[in-house]
Formats: sequence, C-alpha cells, structure tokens
Amino acid sequence: MATVAFREVHKSFGATKVLHGISLDIAEGEFVVLVGPSGCGKSTLLRMLAGLEDIGGGQIAIDGRVVNDVDSKDRDIAMVFQSYALYPHMTVRDNMGFSLKLRKEKQNLIDQRVANAAKILNLEPYLARYPRELSGGQRQRVAMGRAIVRDPKVFLFDEPLSNLDAKLRVAMRAEIKALHQRLKTTTVYVTHDQIEAMTMADRIAVMRDGRIEQLGEPLELYDRPANLFVAQFIGSPAMNVFDGTIRNGSVEALGSRWPTAVRGAEGQQVKYGVRPEHLEPAASGIAAQIIVVEPMGAETELVVKIADATLTVMTRGRSSAGPGERIFLAPQASHAHLFDAATGLRIQPP
Amino acid sequence: MREARLWLIAIPILLWTLLPIYHIFLFSISTKDSAFSGALWPAKPTLHNFGTVFRQEHFYLHDFWHQIWNSVWIACATGVLTLVVATTAAFAISRLKVKGGRVVMNAALFTYFIPAAFLAVPMYKAMGTYGLLNNRWSLVLAMVTLASPYAIWVLKQASDRLPWELDEAARIDGATPLQLFHLVYLPLMMPSLVAIGTYALLLAWNEYLYAFLLLSNNIPLAVGLGHFLASDDSPWELLMATALIYAVPPAAIYYAFRRYMVGGLTAGAVKT
Amino acid sequence: MAAIAIPHPPPAAPRRRLSSWQTWGVIMLMPYILVFLVFVLYPVTYGLWLARHPQSYRTLFEDPVFFRTVVNTIVFLLVAVNLKFLLALFLSGFFVHERRWIRWLSVIFIIPWAVPAIPTIFSIRFMLNPEWGIVNSLIFRLTGADGPNWLNDPTLALSMAMLVHIWKALPFWTLILMAGRLAIPREQYEAASVDGATAWQKFKYVTWPSIRTLYLTSTLLSMIWTLGDFNSVYLLTGGGPADLTHVLATLGIRYIRLDQVDQAMTTIVVALPFVLPLVYFMMKRLSVDE
Ligand SMILES: Nc1ncnc2c1ncn2[C@@H]1O[C@H](COP(=O)(O)OP(=O)(O)O)[C@@H](O)[C@H]1O
Ligand SMILES: [Mg+2]
Repeated sequence: MATVAFREVHKSFGATKVLHGISLDIAEGEFVVLVGPSGCGKSTLLRMLAGLEDIGGGQIAIDGRVVNDVDSKDRDIAMVFQSYALYPHMTVRDNMGFSLKLRKEKQNLIDQRVANAAKILNLEPYLARYPRELSGGQRQRVAMGRAIVRDPKVFLFDEPLSNLDAKLRVAMRAEIKALHQRLKTTTVYVTHDQIEAMTMADRIAVMRDGRIEQLGEPLELYDRPANLFVAQFIGSPAMNVFDGTIRNGSVEALGSRWPTAVRGAEGQQVKYGVRPEHLEPAASGIAAQIIVVEPMGAETELVVKIADATLTVMTRGRSSAGPGERIFLAPQASHAHLFDAATGLRIQPP
Repeated sequence: MREARLWLIAIPILLWTLLPIYHIFLFSISTKDSAFSGALWPAKPTLHNFGTVFRQEHFYLHDFWHQIWNSVWIACATGVLTLVVATTAAFAISRLKVKGGRVVMNAALFTYFIPAAFLAVPMYKAMGTYGLLNNRWSLVLAMVTLASPYAIWVLKQASDRLPWELDEAARIDGATPLQLFHLVYLPLMMPSLVAIGTYALLLAWNEYLYAFLLLSNNIPLAVGLGHFLASDDSPWELLMATALIYAVPPAAIYYAFRRYMVGGLTAGAVKT
Repeated sequence: MAAIAIPHPPPAAPRRRLSSWQTWGVIMLMPYILVFLVFVLYPVTYGLWLARHPQSYRTLFEDPVFFRTVVNTIVFLLVAVNLKFLLALFLSGFFVHERRWIRWLSVIFIIPWAVPAIPTIFSIRFMLNPEWGIVNSLIFRLTGADGPNWLNDPTLALSMAMLVHIWKALPFWTLILMAGRLAIPREQYEAASVDGATAWQKFKYVTWPSIRTLYLTSTLLSMIWTLGDFNSVYLLTGGGPADLTHVLATLGIRYIRLDQVDQAMTTIVVALPFVLPLVYFMMKRLSVDE
C-alpha cells in the first residue's frame, strides 16, 4: 500500500503536447479511475507512473519517493494490460511466477504465492495450461494474478476489460472491485467507459486533452459536474443541454421557462442542463412531442422534441404514450445544472 | 478438358525440373562406359561409384572425407554465427529500439542488394589483408556477411509482429534486457530462428564462388567438385556420384524445414 | 503500434532510466556493426580506392573481352530475367489451382532451388556435351543428324547459361508470384465470373492490377541478383569459348584469377552506375512502412 502523487506532470511526443500539467494525489489504498475519451492521455499518464514512458516534466512520487529516474522494476508496481500481455510460451503458473523468478525468490515461496493468487482468482485448475488454451476472462484473471503475486505497492490497470464481451465485463468489474476490497492495494485504473469508472472508483479523474477536468467521488461528479464536458461525459444517457437566457429567476429556452436555483444576472447567456431521469412526464408543464419510445423494461427512454431541439427523457416503469403524442415535462430547479455559455463552467446555486 | 489442359502443362514442368537431376542420378549408378553411351538407363546399374568415392579411390577424391568435414564445419559455423549476429541485431533494432538501429538496418539492406559476385572481389582483397586467405574462417565470415543482412531483415519483420506489451510486462516484472532476450524473445522467435539458421547453413554449404576464391587448400566439397573440371577426361560418373552425395543433405534439410522456410523466408523475401 | 517515446527537448528531463536498455541495445548491435565495418565497409572502400587509376579504365575499355562482356550482361539481364518472369507469371497461375497432385508437383518443382548449383550445372554441362551428352544422343537417335556443339558456340553457350539460370531461379519467383496471386480475394474472381469475364479478362482486370507492383519489384530485385550470378555462366561455360560468354560477374573473377585485382575492381566500378539506382529503388521500396 502506498500513496501516489503527480505534480505538474507534462508530456510531449515530438511537437504535440499530450499532457498539460497533471496534478493528482492518491491516498493509500484508494481506487482511482482515470476516465476520458480515447486519446486524452490517460494511458500516457499511467505509463509514466509505470516507468514505461519518460516523464517529460514535473514529478511523480510513489510513497513519497520521487520515481522520475527509477526503473520500472524498482518502482514496485504491477500492471494489467488491455491485451493481457501474457507470455505465450509460459504456462499460467510460470506467467504468474515470472516476476518472482526474476527477483531470484526461492521456488517454494514462488509456488506458495502463485497458489495463493490462483486460489483467490479461481485459477487453480488452469495452472498448467498455456494462455492460448484459456478463454478471454481466464486470461484476464491470469493477468491479474501476475499482478497480485508480486504484492506490489500499486496496481495499474489500462483498459483491462475492453477486450471482453459485455456480460463478462460486468462480471469482471465486480471481481476487480471485490479483489480491491480484499487486498486494499492502491489502484490506478484507466478506462474510457464512464460506467466502469462510476461503478468501481473511490474517486474519478475525468480527463480531456491532457488535462484533468474534474476530480471527485463518482456521485459528486454526477450531481455537481464542474463543467459542461464532465456533465455530458458522466451519465448515460447523456445530460440534455441547450442554450438559454436568464429572465426573472428562471431560464428562457426553447420557447419555455425552465426553473433554476441559480440567481444569475438578468439576460445572462447560459447552458441549461438536465439529466433525462429528471424530466419525468407530469400532468402539466413544458409541452413536448414524443418522437421515439424505447422501452427497456424497468424504465422507458423517450426521445422528445421541444421547439426544434431533441431531448431524452427517462421515465420509471412503462410509458402509455406513443410516438406523435404530446406530454408535459416538469423539471425541478434543484436538478437543473447551469453552465456559463462562454466558459462552460458550472454556475453554482447558492 | 480442364484437367487435360492442366496435365499438358504439368508434364513439361516435370521433365524440365527433373531431367538434370535424373541425369546426375543416372550417371552416379552407371559404369563409365555406360555413362558415356548416352543411354537413358544403364545396362547394369551399380553402386560401385559410391564405394569408390567413400574409399577415396581416385585422384580427385583423395580428400573427399576431409572436404565433407570442411563443408559441414563451415556450414555449421556460418549457421551459428549468423544466428548470433542477426538475432542480437534484430532484437536491438526491433525491441530495444536502439538509436541508430535504422541506419544499421539500412546498411544491412544495402549489403543485401550488392550482387554477391561484386562483393567477392573486395572481400577477397580484404581477406588477403587480414591474412585470412586459405583459412576456413575467411569463408565462414564471408558467408556470415552475406547471410546476416537478410537474416536481420527477416527477424526484424518477425519480431516487429510480437506484441510490444510483452516487453513492457517483462520490464515491469523486473527483467533486464538480457533476461528479456533469452527468457521471452528467443522462445517466441523460435520458428524464425530455425528458418534463419537453416537459411545460413544452406547458403554456406552451397556456396561455390567465395569458397573457391578464398580457399585453395583445405577446401570444402563444393570446390573439390569444381576440381573435376581440371581435365577433359574427368571421371564424370564419379563426379556425379560425389555431386549427389553433396546435393542430398541440403535438399533433405530444406524439405525437413520447409514448413518454417516457406512461412519465414518467402514471406519476407519480397514485400507485396 | 509499438510505441516508444520520441525524445524531445523537455524541461530538464533526465533520460538516465532508459540508459541500460540503450546500452544493451548498442552492445547487441555491435556484432553486426563489426561484421559490416570489417567485411563490407572496409573492403568496399579499399576496393574503390584500388580502382582510382584512370589507366585501369583505359586498359579495361581496350580489353576486347570487356565490350563483349557488357553486351552479354545486358542481353543476359534483359532476356533471362524477363523470360524467367513471364514463365513464373504463367506457372504461378498454374500452381494456384487447388489439386492435391498440383501441390505435390509444386514440391518437386522447388528442387532446382533447394539443391546446390554445382551438381546440377555440371549435370547440364555434361548433358550438352556434343559427343557423349544425352541431348545430342537423343537428337541423333530421333533425327539421325548430329546435334550442335552447344557450348562451343558463343551465342548458343550464352543461351544455355541463361537457360541454366532460369532453371535454377524459376521456382523461387514462381513461389513469390503465387503468394501474390493467393493474396487476391476470391470474391473478385467470383464477381468477374458473374459479370461474364473470360479467363483472359480476369487476368487483365483482376490478377494483373493486383500483382503488378509485386511483379515489377521482383523483376528489379531479380536483375540485381542476376548481375551477381556467377555460377550459371562460370560453371557451364567457364566464360568460353575464347572468353566470349563472360558476364560482369565472371569477368571480375577472371581478373582476380589473372592476379589483376585493380582491374577486377575497375570492372565493378564501371557496373555501379547501373547497380546503384536499382539498389536505391529497392531500398526505398523495402523501407516504406518502417
Ligand atoms: N509513442 C507515441 N508517440 C506519439 N504520440 C503518442 C504516443 N503515444 C501516445 N501518443 C499520443 O498521445 C495522445 C494520448 O495517448 P494515450 O495516452 O494513449 O490516450 P488514451 O489512453 O487516453 O486513449 C494521443 O493523441 C496519442 O496519439
Ligand atoms: Mg489508452
């Protein structure tokens, strides 16, 4: 267990800057997820922590020790790759024991640690097999086993579930989380999938274009996104956002008046955001026309049209209304998010 | 109809391919008289020629076993040395991404494209300067020079296809470059290594030009065969028996490793 | 997507961490660098230096054998290489047919490539012997006439050398072109069939456009290698009769045998203007997707 600290970390590839001063402190035993769209620099940041990429500028510290000049193998970290990176010519047992073998540990210690990890991961029947003889999920577990065996200070995961099918992904998500609760090893986990981030993280760092847009606990990000990007990145289906103007304590937009708790200047240009599940149909309110109905069983997603904007509405249970019908939406001021039209920053209600 | 057309092509191919080979075989089992009669099959097939060769019972064959030994020695040394030189270079260029690796790769490619007979002249002169003429090592080193560019190129292509994450995983697992090389890289490259080792071995065994330029006594079998041409009334039946003995091992090796050779070598020979 | 940090000038970024990997890289590159320096760079430089005297060139151009050699080389390159490739193109079309027996035939077809040059060339040499050779004895038996003196007529002898060259190299290039043909998606042929294309049209509109680049590159590469083909000429004709069938590859060696190494180097330098563009082109082709 260890702390991890990034201080003003920079990185360029040739002339392209990919990280613009990342600062992030990770507590002992914490599970932090770096999430963001593809190409935003998550992997680069993780690989710099792993020592696979030179640190362009700034510092990275593990357990208070600056590791900029420390070789990967001396950082006491373990990494799980998206492609698993299992050694094809070694059995599962040898794959998991490889790092200990390189450290010249005694064979019985290696055997014991491998057996232990295999037990945790239900890999005992497969120890003599080669990676090519395993299913995707089993390979994934071997990759994790390889990390566990080392008992490192920090676990690093780079999109470890992206190569699995949807169902297995959900199962492995739970497994990794359970594993973390059991081992309590500090973990940095990279993914582009915000659901993975929301379900697994103690804290999430949302990244875009080499910057951290917001750092916080999952529900904090969900409830109080710091800016438009985070607002639309976190949550599925995505938050509805449209242009509006503050008039008389509410927002005038799409030909209707939308409630808000923000007390802004009269005539201020804003972006109005409201999550689909906060747009329950009501007996009266803002009129909308249903375009598409997508029943999902427990809930129903409606695509509706207000003026010439398309919004998503999520209702619990089933919907009796069909396409073409009119419904009314009654959003609540407490669930409305307002962002500055120019900067995209959140306007915090008092 | 279509089958008939295919056969019509197949028969000339078969004749064209096998005639010179059959001719060697025919001579090697013929007596001298029968060989020179132009017959398509000897009246009395005999293995006598092979006995003569193995017992070294002719002026041209006095050194037969010694020459075979030289050929074996040179071929094996070339195979091993080429593997060492090419594998380390390919690993450094492809996996360690050593600075200047590209320049070296281009230098190697350049060597690969110099016609072999052209390089032979300066090589001969340089071997003289190094005092290596007439030393078996001169031929081995020359053959390593000729074999390694292609070997490096093929091995680099093959190792570029290994997933990069394997190296990173090994680095994180604590492997040094040398450990990465022999614990991860070599086992994964085995099929290509077999192909390249075989390639270099055959190249050296089959080489005639460099062998006869660089070695004048202590010669390999290829040069020994060439000596048969020294006079007009050479014992052709013995030459052909010796030639057959000389040709069978490389052909056998080629066919034994064809699985590796076809995948490993022709794929890399010309990029499509 | 092998990724490695491309170095750039960072604000005080020490690269010490990578150094052991770079050091090992240099160490492991050393064997080949040594081989290259000692057995390629030094010999070639030394050789070029030997060929510095204008007098050598004068001597060379005055040697009647030289002019004949240049003509022979050009004929050899143009005729043998192109004939070989036309045959290879045709045969690759034959060998891609999916029949068990054709697969076996292709295994036999490789033999000339798999066996060393000397035995087979000597064998052909003796087959062509005017008195005892099997070729003339067949001609005599079939027609009652004496066959030609194959290797004693410069034109015939050079043609035979080309034939030997083709015999030996044809399987390899057939395999290469076969690989090119097999890489063409079958759907293209099926679509062409549906459109009612004849066999010739399929070749013209499907096969050829796909393998044209391969065909041309291979031809050039083969030209370079054919320039260096010493065996086919030397082992068959020895450059004779009367030094009339030499090519550049054998001429250089002939000068060495005459102990005129400077002259040998000069021969090669004269050939360089033709070789280097080919080499340059090939290197560009091969390093496209580096
Ligand atoms: N080795 C490299 N050389 C050049 N550019 C790179 C390299 N690695 C990553 N990049 C670039 O850096 C940016 C961030 O990449 P990455 O960290 O892999 O993104 P993510 O993992 O968030 O998808 C991308 O634009 C990518 O193209
Ligand atoms: Mg990534």
